[in-house]
Amino acid sequence: MVYKPKRKLTVNVASGLKRLRLPAFLVTFTSAVFLLPVILFAGDNGPCYECHTKQDKLKVTEKAKVDPVTGEIKVASMLIDEAIYKASAHGGEDFFCIDCHQDLDGADLTEGHKSNLKPVDCITFCHDDPAEDYLQSSHVKLMKENNKDVPTCKDCHSGLSYHYTSLGEKSPRDVPKGVDPLHRKLTIEACGSCHQDHLESYRNNAHGQVTSLGHTTTDVPVCFDCHGKHKILNSSNPESKVGKERIIETCGNCHANANASFVKHVEHPQIKNVNYYKTLLAAIKNARNNPDNLKKVIKNPQTILCIVFVMYVGILAFTFSSFGLHSLLCWFAVVRDERKRKGHTDEEQH
Amino acid sequence: MKSNINYLRFSFFHRFCHFLIIISFFGLVLTGVPLAFRSYDWARWLYALFGGYPTAGYIHRICALITFFSAFMHFVYLFYNISVKKKKGFFWGPNSLLIQPRDIFDIIADIKWFMGIGKKPDFDRWIYWEKFEYLSLMWGTLVMAVTGLILWFPVQFTKIIPVSVATIVDLPSIALIIHRYEAILAAGFIFTIHFFHTHLLPEKMPVDEAIFTGRITEEEFKHERLNQFKRLENQRQLDNYKVAPSSLFVSFLTRLFAVPILITGLIMVGLMFSALLVWAL
Repeated sequence: MVYKPKRKLTVNVASGLKRLRLPAFLVTFTSAVFLLPVILFAGDNGPCYECHTKQDKLKVTEKAKVDPVTGEIKVASMLIDEAIYKASAHGGEDFFCIDCHQDLDGADLTEGHKSNLKPVDCITFCHDDPAEDYLQSSHVKLMKENNKDVPTCKDCHSGLSYHYTSLGEKSPRDVPKGVDPLHRKLTIEACGSCHQDHLESYRNNAHGQVTSLGHTTTDVPVCFDCHGKHKILNSSNPESKVGKERIIETCGNCHANANASFVKHVEHPQIKNVNYYKTLLAAIKNARNNPDNLKKVIKNPQTILCIVFVMYVGILAFTFSSFGLHSLLCWFAVVRDERKRKGHTDEEQH
Repeated sequence: MKSNINYLRFSFFHRFCHFLIIISFFGLVLTGVPLAFRSYDWARWLYALFGGYPTAGYIHRICALITFFSAFMHFVYLFYNISVKKKKGFFWGPNSLLIQPRDIFDIIADIKWFMGIGKKPDFDRWIYWEKFEYLSLMWGTLVMAVTGLILWFPVQFTKIIPVSVATIVDLPSIALIIHRYEAILAAGFIFTIHFFHTHLLPEKMPVDEAIFTGRITEEEFKHERLNQFKRLENQRQLDNYKVAPSSLFVSFLTRLFAVPILITGLIMVGLMFSALLVWAL
């Protein structure tokens, strides 16, 4: 899905009207009527760049912000790198600073604008669909259950940004595009920072080993290609992209003619996960008390993978230790024989 | 000094097959091993050197097809000689590459020689470890071909197994694990055991030219395979194998081709071994 921001001011107005957001409409209307040359107007980023690209022209160059997820205090730069901004998801031709910073619409710039702007509202006019999806996701549900603050758009999307301002700080305005390889690579690490086991098992799979080598364009899936972007749901949920109702469609996005057997593929093999081996052994130990559990473990496709893996580790260890020893001994024996022969020929010469 | 009396040990067909296997094997290893050692910088560098994804994958598949072709040629050769020309000795006797009772005694004699309590045993045409290398090449090629094809066509291969089986036996994942570790086994084996047993022995260093020129000198023949030499002498067939010695130029070409390849293999196995050390420490 591509989220096209409703770009034009008129569109903003129209959607505002549609949602019966009269105050918003009135503000834009009146500002449009009382146009003055020094006043900010949609359609030009020039006046913003005038100051925000030069450090000496700004009264305040950086501000402290508290991260609602981690509680960290971050320093946000007020400087803009125009090229980086242009390359970002928001850097389109007809997209302007005040489309987001709407409280600056019509601001008088002769003395500089007011210092504390309202937090940008990503949802109301543009990204209402992903926001709605996100609020239904398993992540939000869990956080609400545990009385935790739900992260907002900018908490993730700026954190994933690889665009740094000249002061080295990440900024929400530089949200990269979804197809950007580096962005896709960083999302793997971002998901993996919590889901470490899943990251490791993904790295052991065919898809993960290619992305590990640094190839992260859209022809190899990263986490969100299979699990979804905003509406990440547990596989038991019928709407989940990896649940049994939709998995054929999800795999079929890349593998044409994906069939019911194909989608049984284990995307997260546990072959290097010590804990899985522990559960295996525990199930075998408790086989008498709990035979159903053992059956369940045996029917798990991970079990065969683990057996094959352990078998191969054994074969490797045996082959290299025995044949390595054989080669070494052979080598030494040849050297010994040659030395003996030389000794003999030397004696004969004397 | 090279002796003037030379014997033909490998026919052109066998030399050509070995050449094809070298080319395809190195192509497969250089484009495949980075995937197994994905978290190391050298693996990324090597993968990028071969064009990265998906180019390195295409090179890998082309090399796989070359391997299939040489395996196919080998079996056509066997079929032609056994069924059409009715040649004997492919399954039994000194010319066979299958394990014979004699090999058990050879192994024991060889171990005695290693310990210094016996002299170097006299071998026939194929030494037991050469037989093992041949058989493991056959087995390894089969395993790698089957699992490689499953990974190449995962959708088509899973289509033939019912869903109830697929929930327990995940064919592509099993194929991936086998393909990865069989590859490490094969690459490690060729670059250490095969290299040190044939090419990098003190008496052969740096390369055993026999597999490239097909020729061995009389001294080498007597030293390595005295039984075969005596057998041929008794059967009065020795003269049939006599050939002119290879020219210096051919010898130079052989080294020009083989030495860089040997070094590449040794570097690869060194990197793989260092990865093992990093993982273990």
